[in-house]
Amino acid sequence: MGYDLFLGCVIPARLPFLEASSRKVFEKLGIELKDVDGFSCCPDPTGIEQIDHKTWLTLGARNLSLSRNSNGGIVSFCSGCVETLKGVNYFLNKDKKTKEEVNKDLKKIGGSYDGNTNVKHFAQVLYENLDKIRENITHPLDGFKVAVHYGCHYLRPSEYIQWDDPFEPKTIDEIVRVLGAESIDYELKLECCGNPVEKSDKELSLLMIKNKLQSIQDSGANCVALVCPACYQQFDFNQRELSKEEGIDFDIPVFYLSELVALALGIDRGDLGLNFHRIKPKSLFEIVHFA
Amino acid sequence: MSVVNFEFRNEVLKHNASLSYCYQCSTCSGGCPVALLTDGKYNPRKIIEEAILGFQEKLVDEQDPNVWLCSTCQTCVELCPQNVELTEIFSLIKNRCFENGNYPEGFFSQGQAIIENGVAIPYSNAILNRRKKLGLPDVKTASVDEIRKLLKLTQFENNIKKRGG
Ligand code: SF4
Ligand code: SF4
Repeated sequence: MGYDLFLGCVIPARLPFLEASSRKVFEKLGIELKDVDGFSCCPDPTGIEQIDHKTWLTLGARNLSLSRNSNGGIVSFCSGCVETLKGVNYFLNKDKKTKEEVNKDLKKIGGSYDGNTNVKHFAQVLYENLDKIRENITHPLDGFKVAVHYGCHYLRPSEYIQWDDPFEPKTIDEIVRVLGAESIDYELKLECCGNPVEKSDKELSLLMIKNKLQSIQDSGANCVALVCPACYQQFDFNQRELSKEEGIDFDIPVFYLSELVALALGIDRGDLGLNFHRIKPKSLFEIVHFA
Repeated sequence: MSVVNFEFRNEVLKHNASLSYCYQCSTCSGGCPVALLTDGKYNPRKIIEEAILGFQEKLVDEQDPNVWLCSTCQTCVELCPQNVELTEIFSLIKNRCFENGNYPEGFFSQGQAIIENGVAIPYSNAILNRRKKLGLPDVKTASVDEIRKLLKLTQFENNIKKRGG
């Protein structure tokens, strides 16, 4: 069993260490990821869709047309890419005329798209392989008190994401628990991290992440787990920014879900690129005696 | 006094017919994190009301409320008892702002990057080295010519150029 890997832009070109841990986890679980030539930007549902819906649909359809369901369809490490690719499918299938128009343009570059490519988030694939993960754990994450941040686009709009519950999600909490960690509830668990408004209002964006981090600190959690590179930058990079700009030091390490799974599966920590995190997880490892 | 602009209203309706279901209950604004943090200055119900009335000037020129402040968290869409697809309606409004050259800088640079590279973030040498060190394979992204051709067909390139891109 395997999938076509859709990498997108942010992870491979800015946060490649997140790609490294994700690929290693899939390899360890024996789930094949096929690299496909010729993908473009998904395009960004919080960027390009907002300035040109037609372009968003057209480039999205072109990307989807490059994958085959016989290869397992697409899997992506990024919630934004998943939202776009599922959304484009939804809108093309909802309105025949739009699909025809998009295909008219695709034809001029020798392409076409039927609207049927399957798309999955990598966390969905992990959830579907929970037993395999359980069997392969060598380093349970004892002492990790994890604040799970689902992120908006992993869940909503449920109309076309069609995965987990939009307001009472459970998949990532369950994965984290299987790893031996504790999932800590916190008041602002379902709130947006604020990343998409950074382009329009940096101050507002920082306020949103500050409130989230405060809520996480108040809950007693000692780290964050998330599944989206935009959320990752907001939680990790802008946590550093808050420290520089406002002198607030939360010092809460932020893990990609793949990193936590990799640690629990005993994948060599040195191969994960954890040193690229702005908030270093080293002191957490010492506190919980994670060897 | 403003009069209803049926032309703009119909344009929004054509893009997303769910606009007509709104009965102004304000559930969307009640659940909106940005409305909460801006003391209601940002207000999704109000944007929908203005769209129903076709108030193009308010929405596109004055940007009152400022539709760019939506974080696209999709909470309102999920909560709306009438299944109004608010974020899809907002995206039409923002698309019109884009055509008028009236949008935050960050969107422009992302658009330009895609025209030039086919991807939103080009691969720097530092990143290529880092990828190698992490044992990651080379990525063969889309042909820039092919993407450019599509961006010409959708008028995207023209709209970016209008801003001096
Ligand atoms: S929640 Fe829906 S019906 Fe109520 S005001 Fe908002 S858009 Fe209109
Ligand atoms: S999608 Fe936008 S308008 Fe709707 S709740 Fe989120 S921030 Fe508010």
